[in-house]
Amino acid sequence: MRRLWRLPIVALGCVILASCGGRETKTASDDWRGEMKQVRIAVRGSEDDPAVARRWNVYREYLGKATGLPVKLYESSDYNGTIQALSSGQVDMANIAAGGYANVDAQVGDQVAPVLTVRQAEGGMGYYSALLVRADSPIRSLSDMKGRTLGYVDFNSTSGYLFPRAKMRQQGVDPDTFFGKTSFAGGHTQAVMALENGQFDATIIQIGGGDPVHGFTTGALYTMARRGLVDVEDFRVIWTAGPIPSSTIVTRTDRPQPFIDIVRGAMAALPYEQPDLWRDIAQPDGSAYTAVDRSFYADIIELRAADIADRRAGRRQEDKPS
Amino acid sequence: MRRLVLALVAVGLASNAEAATLKIAAIGEVSGPCAPPAAEAPAGEKAYFTLLQERLGRDVLKCPVVDRVEAARALADGKVDLAVLDQAAFEPVKLTTRPILTVRPKGGLHRIPILVMTKASKAAPNLASLKGTTAVFGGQSAAALAMPRRTLADQGLGPGFFAHESVAADTDAAAKELRAGAADAMVINASAWQRLCRGDKPGEDRCRDLKTVWRGRPRAPLAVVIRRDMPDELRFRLIGIHVAMHVEAKPAFAWASSWIAGGAEFEPTEAEALTVTSR
Repeated sequence: MRRLWRLPIVALGCVILASCGGRETKTASDDWRGEMKQVRIAVRGSEDDPAVARRWNVYREYLGKATGLPVKLYESSDYNGTIQALSSGQVDMANIAAGGYANVDAQVGDQVAPVLTVRQAEGGMGYYSALLVRADSPIRSLSDMKGRTLGYVDFNSTSGYLFPRAKMRQQGVDPDTFFGKTSFAGGHTQAVMALENGQFDATIIQIGGGDPVHGFTTGALYTMARRGLVDVEDFRVIWTAGPIPSSTIVTRTDRPQPFIDIVRGAMAALPYEQPDLWRDIAQPDGSAYTAVDRSFYADIIELRAADIADRRAGRRQEDKPS
Repeated sequence: MRRLVLALVAVGLASNAEAATLKIAAIGEVSGPCAPPAAEAPAGEKAYFTLLQERLGRDVLKCPVVDRVEAARALADGKVDLAVLDQAAFEPVKLTTRPILTVRPKGGLHRIPILVMTKASKAAPNLASLKGTTAVFGGQSAAALAMPRRTLADQGLGPGFFAHESVAADTDAAAKELRAGAADAMVINASAWQRLCRGDKPGEDRCRDLKTVWRGRPRAPLAVVIRRDMPDELRFRLIGIHVAMHVEAKPAFAWASSWIAGGAEFEPTEAEALTVTSR
């Protein structure tokens, strides 16, 4: 009889003890790690700024400690590589410009979501497109560009393609017919180098760290100048468009919620807990991350859809027999 | 044997409850035991506790305390895990606890770093040594004037510390006044400092003739405080959940941030956010 009552009690004890351990594991502390095994981040290769590579190495180490998982960086040579890696789920997170996120959103909707963007010290959360010419160019304004050659950055670039084209249309300039010839440089650095080499009359690149009134201090032109590759004085900004919603850290939403929360929390805490590191990785001094969602990029998503519709309509007209 | 088994069961139950809860201090009329929010609790309060419970996978309990001093004591003693403290309540427990979050007010700036600069040649080793001198600010905007003034006041440098204060049109004009000797010190924010001093050529530093005497953020008036021994994972998860609350769970955010009127979002903080960092 004693043995008989012992069995259920011991069983009950085991159940309770198991539930202690089980509850701990079910708080996702361990389960989600087992599910993910590693953190895979898509990063753009061939960036103009060595600080960008440094930034991702810092993030890799920092996020590795925060998540307790190995972090692997997957480098892509162009915008589309990051976009496809995110859309296909080959990576868990990335830092991506607004237009790139709009592309991802069009492909997979809410399977990828923005979690953070940078808020500047003065509260701004955007940057600009700058139409850049050589300082010795006779071109002084956007209207002077009629029939001239223009180098865009990349079809998926927000500041180097999508946004300025929309603003040109708003100002009565059809970017598909106004310029004599357009081409893609492939990146911001390449765009500046090609302009310097006279491959086109103007290029449109990202510019930031200020505004049209106070001037600018960040972007490929300034980064290249600080590396001694070009001299800022050799170029002139003749037109700007913006502000454009800043780039965003995005995560796949089908990843465990604890992972997403840790990424958002650890990254948001970085400028406060390690301010020297924040500056060292070329983040604007005084800036910080702030949480955003899809609505912050709604205008860019709309612009991209409209741009694609316009071009498709144009192609359809071109396809018609004359 | 029977006693041993029952004791094991009791220990199991206790440790299970201990490991699986997050206890939050909440100021009320009377102290009391930790418990889930009452059925008649405001919708925002219930939304907040439900959000944390779902996202953390553990029970989240409300622990009534009568004031922030009791909350601080309960936090230090391990009776609660999270408490909103002011500077006075935080001071006695600062060695074992730290702030992690505060609230940015609507339309307000986040807590940007402020710099006090002088000419490099000036003998000014610290802020206190600038008492009775003159200072210039770099503009009228909140980031150029109101936040720097508030930050100085946090350090005990309120009105009267400087013999004279002036406000230049912008950072460049303020730097001109400093360099010309029209002011002994210049007070600007970190972003303005970077625009002023970072050159466009390799290794260029446009402020070699200036030095930074002090750099720091404004003090947070109130902050969410945890014990320093909280594991990083839980700390980061709490920060991640809170900083996104204003977009993901608005009613929960409204309740959880109600200790600052008109909150816009939770903002992370450094461990020194409730203390005077330097003179």
